Amino acid sequence: MGRSVELARIIDGCKSGDADSFAQVVDMYSGRCYGYFYRLTGDRDLSDELLSELFIRLVEKIGSYKGGAFESWLFKIASNIFHDHLRGKQRRKKLLETRRGQLELEPDLNEQRVSDEAGDRLDRLQAQLSRLDDDTRDLILLRFYSELSFKEIAELRSEPIGTALSKLHRGLKKLRELMEG
Amino acid sequence: MMNPGQDHLKELLRQFLEAPAAEAAYRDIQAGERLLEAHPAPAPESRVILAIKAQMAGAARRQQRIVRLVRGALATAAAVIVLALIGLPDPGARNSSALSYASLIPTAIWESDDIAADDLDIVYFSAEIRHLEAQMRALDAGEEQVGGAVPDEFENELMAIEIEFWKG
Repeated sequence: MGRSVELARIIDGCKSGDADSFAQVVDMYSGRCYGYFYRLTGDRDLSDELLSELFIRLVEKIGSYKGGAFESWLFKIASNIFHDHLRGKQRRKKLLETRRGQLELEPDLNEQRVSDEAGDRLDRLQAQLSRLDDDTRDLILLRFYSELSFKEIAELRSEPIGTALSKLHRGLKKLRELMEG
Repeated sequence: MMNPGQDHLKELLRQFLEAPAAEAAYRDIQAGERLLEAHPAPAPESRVILAIKAQMAGAARRQQRIVRLVRGALATAAAVIVLALIGLPDPGARNSSALSYASLIPTAIWESDDIAADDLDIVYFSAEIRHLEAQMRALDAGEEQVGGAVPDEFENELMAIEIEFWKG
């Protein structure tokens, strides 16, 4: 209860344009949102960009937040940003295909490189996640990083709860098989 | 980062699946989520977070400025509308102002009921003035004959009109 009161106070601060309140939202959610973007893209630089876009959109849209689960509202924006990125990527890919005839490298291997302090290395989970279709991967990661209930996730994705549940089950089962295989 | 709604997951699955299938699905989901937990994603770098916070502060300031500008513009527009409404004369006021304009017109013309004759006079004088203007321009240009009349005749004509005009 205390956390939700605190969050409501922070959101009120954001609505009145208080920079400290925005900074608090970043502190609270940047880790989870970054994880979501990173596991979707496998690219740190791109995740940085998407995270930055998410929080800028938060500043622009906070006035339209009318209560309810803030995580649901925030991750809905995050999901939209990722899908906008995917659409842009598809357009660029088509453009490249028409101009060059074929892409230069296998895109999955190119995109799943992980840069960390130890240097570039391939993240095994990331590689297997990339073998799932975009929609299933998004659902799994949305569920994991947003910590929303299934009802909220189904509403966020505008699909029946049974469909979301079934997709998640199949997706996670396949991911486990891929990791074990 | 196990989902806090996990406890309800089993019940939810039972709404869609038979008990053994629901139990198996529950185990699959838990195992999958444990995998995600075992492979945490990297955290964003602190310089990125600082940059985002700075960008947000800038965006918030811009937005506040825009809000202030819009509010100012709305207030100005509202003031203009109010002033326009206050300054708009009502029908009663219009009659009184018409009377004050009427006082500038010579009483003889104002009281005359022969509108057609008054108008005809005005047309006559206007046409004559236009005719005279054309003749003056022609004279300035050095033409000998103007409209079939010599300059002396023109001057006579002008004088006659002036006399007629001042007679009223």
